Amino acid sequence: MENRLLEIKDLHVSYGSVCALWGVSLHVPEGSIVALVGANGAGKSTLLKTIAGMNRPKNGSILFSGKHITGLTPEAVVNAGIAMVPEGRKLFARLTVKENLELGGYIPRARPFIQKSLEQAYELFPLLKTKSNQIAGSMSGGEQQMLAIARSMMSRPTILMLDEPSLGLSPLVVKMMFELVEELNRKGMTILLVEQNIYQALKISHYAYVIKTGKIVLEGKGEQLLSDPEVQNAYLGTME
Amino acid sequence: MFDYLTFGLLAQLFINGILFGTMYGLAAIGLSLIFGTMRIIFLSQGAVIILMAYCCYWLFTLFKIDPYLSIPIIGLAAMVLGAGIYQGLFRRAVKMEDKNITLLIAVGLMFLIENLMAVMWTPNPRSISTGYTSSSIPVGGLAISFTRLMGFVMAMLSTAGVTLFLKRTLVGKAVRAASEDIEAARLVGISPHWVNTIAFAIGIGLCGIAGIALSTTYPFDPYFGFIFSLKAMIALALGGLGSVFGALLGGIILGTLESWSSFFISGGWADAVSYGVFLLVLLFKPEGLLVRSVKKV
Amino acid sequence: MKNLKPITSVVLATLLLGLIPFVSDSEKSYLVYFLFLTFCHIVLTQGWNLVAGYTGQVSLGTHAFFALGAYTTAMIWRADLFSWENYYFDPVTMILSGLVPVIFALAIGIPLLSKLHGDYFALGTLGFGEILKVVCIKGGQFTGGPIGIMLPSSVYTTMRPHYWTALFLAFLATGVVYFMTKSRVGLALVAISEDETAASSSGIYILKYKVLAFAISAFLSGLCGSLYAYYLFQVSPEGFLILRWTLYPVLMCVIGGSGTVVGPILGSLLMTAVFTVTSIYLPGIHPIFSGIIIILVMLFMPNGIIRLWKKGV
Ligand SMILES: Nc1ncnc2c1ncn2[C@@H]1O[C@H](COP(=O)(O)OP(=O)(O)OP(=O)(O)O)[C@@H](O)[C@H]1O
Ligand SMILES: [Mg+2]
Repeated sequence: MENRLLEIKDLHVSYGSVCALWGVSLHVPEGSIVALVGANGAGKSTLLKTIAGMNRPKNGSILFSGKHITGLTPEAVVNAGIAMVPEGRKLFARLTVKENLELGGYIPRARPFIQKSLEQAYELFPLLKTKSNQIAGSMSGGEQQMLAIARSMMSRPTILMLDEPSLGLSPLVVKMMFELVEELNRKGMTILLVEQNIYQALKISHYAYVIKTGKIVLEGKGEQLLSDPEVQNAYLGTME
Repeated sequence: MFDYLTFGLLAQLFINGILFGTMYGLAAIGLSLIFGTMRIIFLSQGAVIILMAYCCYWLFTLFKIDPYLSIPIIGLAAMVLGAGIYQGLFRRAVKMEDKNITLLIAVGLMFLIENLMAVMWTPNPRSISTGYTSSSIPVGGLAISFTRLMGFVMAMLSTAGVTLFLKRTLVGKAVRAASEDIEAARLVGISPHWVNTIAFAIGIGLCGIAGIALSTTYPFDPYFGFIFSLKAMIALALGGLGSVFGALLGGIILGTLESWSSFFISGGWADAVSYGVFLLVLLFKPEGLLVRSVKKV
Repeated sequence: MKNLKPITSVVLATLLLGLIPFVSDSEKSYLVYFLFLTFCHIVLTQGWNLVAGYTGQVSLGTHAFFALGAYTTAMIWRADLFSWENYYFDPVTMILSGLVPVIFALAIGIPLLSKLHGDYFALGTLGFGEILKVVCIKGGQFTGGPIGIMLPSSVYTTMRPHYWTALFLAFLATGVVYFMTKSRVGLALVAISEDETAASSSGIYILKYKVLAFAISAFLSGLCGSLYAYYLFQVSPEGFLILRWTLYPVLMCVIGGSGTVVGPILGSLLMTAVFTVTSIYLPGIHPIFSGIIIILVMLFMPNGIIRLWKKGV
């Protein structure tokens, strides 16, 4: 059986009295790209935030490399090796590109390697090197998304969670973004990808889950789901 | 037409204003750090400054420690006090949705400190008098008081220190990041409590410096702190949040404004001018006079 | 039926309290003075409650409106504005003393509330109080400077009118708060304090309600100031323009439970008792206790006694 790097069992999350996740179970094998797709408000971001420690689950467990990380603080989760690129990027807009990157390596586990990580980030994104002293808020949307990914890589994670990386980007940049995700994966990164851009997400992922109003309703291999008539009807209606 | 005398007088007022304004500036920097990271309006700032002034006075009268030698002692003690204030009083409350709670805790703390000081040291004004208290340095026909100049130098050095800390160290950058977006900061692994503790330690540490500067230059009493807090708020409103240098500059502008208005319109009215400016700024440019708007992603 | 119960109990309590001066000697017993002070606190506390508890805005200007009311009364009396025989407990004078603060509340409330939320409003109202203080101290003949305006204390005969007026004002203030909570206005106010963005879909109404709440609060504070002027016979910055008149109501409201009708009454009663006892037995250091109590309450029961109690039910 494949190595389950991240495993979520029967997760229940609610905001006040509103229940956002109703017993979600899924797992991410090491070295794979797993996609999580679903309509607006389905609970995708909620799931990622809960894994990242921003929300406390009411019930259920989150295991990372077999260890319980349920209820840890976000700081502890990053330090354990789970990095998240949040929806809307959440850069430090008034800090420079370089400062954003350095803060990505803030956690104790990554701090000794900041210089090295920085070089690796610049290698992966040469553009960021040329703009290293620019204020992050003044960059274009695509550049900001790159910076957000580079920043999360600075923590030297074992798994990267991306929340709608293609949001608000032009088609060409979206294409680049997906290529980047694939490249990171080829280099050995395990990826949990949340996307609205279902067609592309399913295409590059090894396995995928479809979430609907807080429940996993479908799962399967990426291409398999793509050809699933139900998925096609419900989500890919406008695509040829 | 100004003859030399009035020009000299204006210049003297200007310099006095700058020298006094740096003290407002120091307080404003602390407020700005605390507000920036935690959205707390720390109204007790002024009371803490007076408390530090009393400590300086105490060290001087009881143990004959020169006020300038007490800088490291008081500075360090103030930082520890700041960390303690955060851990003891605000750690629980910053998490609460309702920001009024922290405001009211600060008000309660102010009340407590003020009255504690009044009981311990009587409400009578105190001041420190050393051999150099009344000495001054002549500069181009103007006399600059030595103690005020020292206060100015202390303020400049600590502002520079804080700026360097915020710009050059990773922890300092984390403080700035957290003031901008606490959620994003947590996601990269910055612990809010750690950052908040640091912001409080620095903010109250600066109170220590301001307290020493105040105790060597002006008489003070236990209830002076509240007005000082208000003045620091005004300085902050003038300088805008989120900029250390802006806060200092805001303090200097306010100091100059007061120095001039207290000369031209009799003493007590100067305060009304400051508060009037404050209200106008709050009404028309609450993000601060000196702030260029920053694009937010 | 269920809704009637609190009303009837408050009316009954008011009537019973109104009998106390007949039972207890109003000049000698401490009870009448203590209740008078409690009622004054209830008026100010309910006023603050209206703004903070129901709109989420912290006003730190209660003392300013309180003082404005007192100064208005004193000035009308001194100037013999209506050429009347008697200004002592004159209803017209008292109502005007409530309306003058309202004018100021509108003047600062509309711009402050339309631009800022939360923190800046607190600072703006605080700044207003400070300006007023400077004006009063420096106002020369007009305001009487630091000594203030002396009123002819020879008209004083008994504490009874003070007591009954305070009781009536406390009843009125509580009634206003009660009415506000039950009405559509009140629902809008609660929406504001709970969710700024959700409520903002109703647009300009928010500003209207916030300003309305602020103005009513200023009116109540002004009336209370007028009453207190009739008690002190000296209207001075030191007696009226002190932060105490803002902080005590805040404390009492929060301790009792802001945003409720009964909470502020409980808080006022409890804290007036605590302050009275400490000022008798611990003279000099009792303000220290006020500070400690404020902090402890905010830390450990920011929602007030009333909610602790209700949780248990
Ligand atoms: N902070 C919050 N407070 C209350 N409800 C929330 C909060 N965040 C999310 N929700 C609710 O939880 C549900 C799931 O939201 P979530 O953000 O996880 O959806 P999503 O799948 O990420 O949607 P999108 O594709 O639009 O990003 C929604 O109904 C949303 O309204
Ligand atoms: Mg989402």
